[in-house]
Amino acid sequence: MRMASLREWISRLWGTLRPGRDDRDLEQELRLHLELAAEDAVRAGCAPGQARPAARTHAGGVAQAMEALRDQRGLPWLNDRARDIRYALRQVRRNPAFSAIAIATLALGIGGITAMFSAFDTILIRPLPYPNADRLVMIWDELNRERLSKSFPAPAEWLEWRRQNTVFTDIAATQPADATLSGDSEPEQVPARKATANLWGVLGVTPLVGRVFTEEEDVNGVRVLLISHGLWQRRYGGSPDVVGRKITVNDNVYEVIGVMPRDFYFLPARDIDIWMPASFSASMRRNFSWHDSQVVARLKPGMTLKRAQESMAALSLQVTAKDFRGPHPVVVTPLREEIAGKTHTALVVLLCASAALLLIACVNLANLLLSRGEVRRREVAVRAALGAGRQRLIAQFLTESLVLAGLGSATGLAFAVPALRFLETIVPETMGTVRLSLDWRVLAFSAGAAIAATLIFGLVPALRGTRFAPQDGLRDGGRGATGARSHWFQHSLIVIETALAVVLLTSGGLLLGTFQHLRHTDLGMRSEQLLTFEAPLFRYPDFDKRVAFVNAELEKIRAIPGVVNAGASSQLPLRPNNTHATFYLLAGQSRNSIPGQVALMRVVTLDYLPTIGARLREGRFFEISDRPSTSPAAIVNETFADRHFPGRSALGERFQYGQLNEKGHWYTIVGVVKEIREVAMGEAPRSAVYRLHDQTDQVGSLPSGVVVRTTVEPVSIVSAIRQAIWSVDKDQPVWHVQTIDDIVDRQLSTATQSTTLLGAFALLALLLASLGLYGVLSYAVTQRTNEIGLRLALGATSGDILRSFGKRGMALTLAGLVIGLVLAAIAARSMTALLYGYRPDYFPTAAAVAVILMAVAALACFVPARRASRIDPMTALQRG
Amino acid sequence: MLLQTVAALGPLHGYSIAARLEQVSAGALQINMGTLYPGLMRLEQRGLIRSEWNVTDTNRKARFYNITAAGRRQLAAERAEWDRMTTIMHTLLHDPG
Repeated sequence: MRMASLREWISRLWGTLRPGRDDRDLEQELRLHLELAAEDAVRAGCAPGQARPAARTHAGGVAQAMEALRDQRGLPWLNDRARDIRYALRQVRRNPAFSAIAIATLALGIGGITAMFSAFDTILIRPLPYPNADRLVMIWDELNRERLSKSFPAPAEWLEWRRQNTVFTDIAATQPADATLSGDSEPEQVPARKATANLWGVLGVTPLVGRVFTEEEDVNGVRVLLISHGLWQRRYGGSPDVVGRKITVNDNVYEVIGVMPRDFYFLPARDIDIWMPASFSASMRRNFSWHDSQVVARLKPGMTLKRAQESMAALSLQVTAKDFRGPHPVVVTPLREEIAGKTHTALVVLLCASAALLLIACVNLANLLLSRGEVRRREVAVRAALGAGRQRLIAQFLTESLVLAGLGSATGLAFAVPALRFLETIVPETMGTVRLSLDWRVLAFSAGAAIAATLIFGLVPALRGTRFAPQDGLRDGGRGATGARSHWFQHSLIVIETALAVVLLTSGGLLLGTFQHLRHTDLGMRSEQLLTFEAPLFRYPDFDKRVAFVNAELEKIRAIPGVVNAGASSQLPLRPNNTHATFYLLAGQSRNSIPGQVALMRVVTLDYLPTIGARLREGRFFEISDRPSTSPAAIVNETFADRHFPGRSALGERFQYGQLNEKGHWYTIVGVVKEIREVAMGEAPRSAVYRLHDQTDQVGSLPSGVVVRTTVEPVSIVSAIRQAIWSVDKDQPVWHVQTIDDIVDRQLSTATQSTTLLGAFALLALLLASLGLYGVLSYAVTQRTNEIGLRLALGATSGDILRSFGKRGMALTLAGLVIGLVLAAIAARSMTALLYGYRPDYFPTAAAVAVILMAVAALACFVPARRASRIDPMTALQRG
Repeated sequence: MLLQTVAALGPLHGYSIAARLEQVSAGALQINMGTLYPGLMRLEQRGLIRSEWNVTDTNRKARFYNITAAGRRQLAAERAEWDRMTTIMHTLLHDPG
């Protein structure tokens, strides 16, 4: 029975969508019935003339039976909807201009929010490729003295934390590593990372093929490694027997023991190809000042982030109590936050912006529908008079809105696809590569947005459009007898959309200001035509050989046509999160000063600073006369000089760094350079010390980063540079070839994209808001043609009329502007993370927005107001 | 009831079903078209009968209804249920105890 009745419903649903037996078929059957009944009646002795009426009395009317059959054939409720939809589609076709505007507006709104949701969902909501990823946290040292809230912990700290903590199931650490593959095919430098053996346990990840390394292998420094899925496919052709293969990494033989899954990635970058055991050295295990690790931990079940934070901060103070720099606490942050980085704020802001845009689109449409509702009063009145109930009419209106929203949404999805391609570039580099798509979640969201939009823009017009006694609608013939209430409502809609547009414009303006500021940051060098790359020097541990190689390689590069100069440094500029710094001690200072004094350390060649175009504040660059010596020369940056020698010359001052004891060299400051941007764009500048590579082999940093100043397009000489280097050493790897401008572009990409997107949203918002204003005023003029004609006839000048309409439009705009500026001030506060610590001036931006908005609004008011002022009183009154 | 008629007499068109019902009930059951045809349609939608256009013995086009296998099962089940009910009713009304 149940099955049978289910089958009936399906059949009826089907019957609604496409009737298998049409009305003619049904009617034919009924007619036959009547004919046969009439024949029987004749046979029973009825007079032929009366047979038919008799049969009808007996069998019932065809019309009633047809009605009952139709109801049984389909679902009456659905039939009504289907009819409404057909009617709505007819309306769409009948008013192409209105429909096109409505659909385009909705397409922008829904397409925008759908694309943003797709990015938001993929980057911030989808699970990370680790089980229970929300239990994973990162632990950072909090070295407040150095104005750094998050610093890399030291391996020694990790050991203590792991041993003593009570809040995590386990804690793992990773460390930077270099890897040059050689032997099996051409040398290749690949991104690598060292990891403690428990990393895989903490993350909950198992290799696709093979196994991970054990604690024993890690501690004993066994040469085993894991490779990424990408490297496996690329270099080893996806061969399963790669496990157990011996490969040469950094001139040492390692055994491949496993391949990571395809979607695996982990901080600090998505493209790490080799994972090897950390195998911390004995000195690293003791030394609390070797801050270069990233530490990830898994919270115990039931443990909260807050309690873990408190517990770990206390533990850290205790662990570092004996550290000569004094104790410091730690910060515990959710892993997802670290992976999403700045993109998080950008996405939240952009999602809000797209929601605001959709809201503006809806408000606009509501206004249009309200205006149209007035026009359709007659039609509604006729239908009401013919017996359509109010509910039925509301359903009809809402169906029309839904059809518009559906069409808009479909068009919007077409817009969304190219937008997704653009948004893919916003995915942070710390995350796996993602392909944004319109999957069912996104489509469901989009459908939800369309329905919400329908209710927002369709409900009020539907309620208003159907609320009156039928005879009124018929009597006044659709002429403007709209009450003040309706105007009041439409006016508030205008104020709302203006306010939203102002919020978007102001936020966009602030972001643009920040972006301009970042773009014009003084890099401390001439960034154009400056090529950089890395030529790792692990194969030259011997000081003299290394100096010889570096000088020979630079000499060969300088000989390439189009090259002006070349130099090398232990760290190329513009490194993000560059917290690897060294302690120093000035001559005459007590050892107590050491804890607060760290500086970035750069080992450079003679020509490095001139090559990048550094500028001297005082003193000199390195010179050929800076011979190998135990009292070497040093150049410091302005931040360093201003900190220790404010208002006086730093030249001739002496300091020790790295090795702060009798054996450590004393460096003499010979020059002060203007701030060179060593850290990423938007980060606070830091003290930096430059010393000459040739002069002394003291601290183990190797000048592997090469910079080349060219007169030609830098990319055009890349292969010449490779050849030049290989002519010195044919096995020398070269990688990370990029120009300084590329690096800057990449660092500003989130800012660029958010600025572009927010700017686009803001301009669309402005356009929609002004269209809305124009539409409402224009409609009011049409509605009030009679009244205007009368006023003109009674002696009002056309200037009066112009002013009266203009004043109303501008008053609405002004109200929206004031509300919008207040909201924008609040919104700006939540965007600070996007502003890269830069505080753009709110008032100039607000003033600019005000001027632009008033100008556009004036135009939107002027056109209809002028039309009103040109009304010919005679025609207007006659028409009435 | 409709099902039984169709089952008993094989392919029938609507009018003959109504006529047959009227005949067997000696005029007690007079079904008008507004009841008959939606009823037939419902049975068809439930898959208990099927219908097709065919020609009557007086050479007219008519829609003929015939019972399906599911219809026969349903009929048997309903007949059994009815018998059970009438037995109970009979016992209740006629059993003096």
